[in-house]
Amino acid sequence: MRKFYEGGFQATMNRREAALILGVRESVAAEKVKEAHRRVMVANHPDAGGSHYLASKINEAKDMMLGKTKNSGSAF
Amino acid sequence: MAGRLLANLIVMGSGIIGRAVFQAYRQALANASKSGVAQEAMQNGVRKAGKAITEQEARQILGVTEKTSWEEILQKYDKLFENNAKAGSFYLQSKVHRAKECLEVVYRSQGNGTPS
Repeated sequence: MRKFYEGGFQATMNRREAALILGVRESVAAEKVKEAHRRVMVANHPDAGGSHYLASKINEAKDMMLGKTKNSGSAF
Repeated sequence: MAGRLLANLIVMGSGIIGRAVFQAYRQALANASKSGVAQEAMQNGVRKAGKAITEQEARQILGVTEKTSWEEILQKYDKLFENNAKAGSFYLQSKVHRAKECLEVVYRSQGNGTPS
């Protein structure tokens, strides 16, 4: 049994957390990201007992993995 | 013969270096505590350990309000936990689990619903 990750979500998402949410590696191909996003979204869909908060996190993770949000939290 | 000598030398050398490193570390700690760097480092550690989940976030994760009963929360949790075990990710499963842990404490202190 693996140990659960501590605490809540990070205040600002980074690529590492995005990859963890989707259950993929950071260096994964775009096609695989979409596949993982569909899989995780189905499991956590608000219409099927999931929550909107988790759904928004999953979407944010997908956008980050596909490079749509250039948010590295730093000026460089 | 030469091999044994060499091995002896290496073992002795590493022992000495190890002790030296340890002493240097202790000295550095002592210096730091004088200048207050250690206190800052300690506070950082505490903040990181205290990066716990808030009740508000826990409720958002499970999609429940303050009026939701403990039974309903458990149902939500079971479903999300199972779903993420099957098709989701371990990270999300962790968050769901931490959210339930957090709310369990809240509900126990209130004494309604009596989480077992």
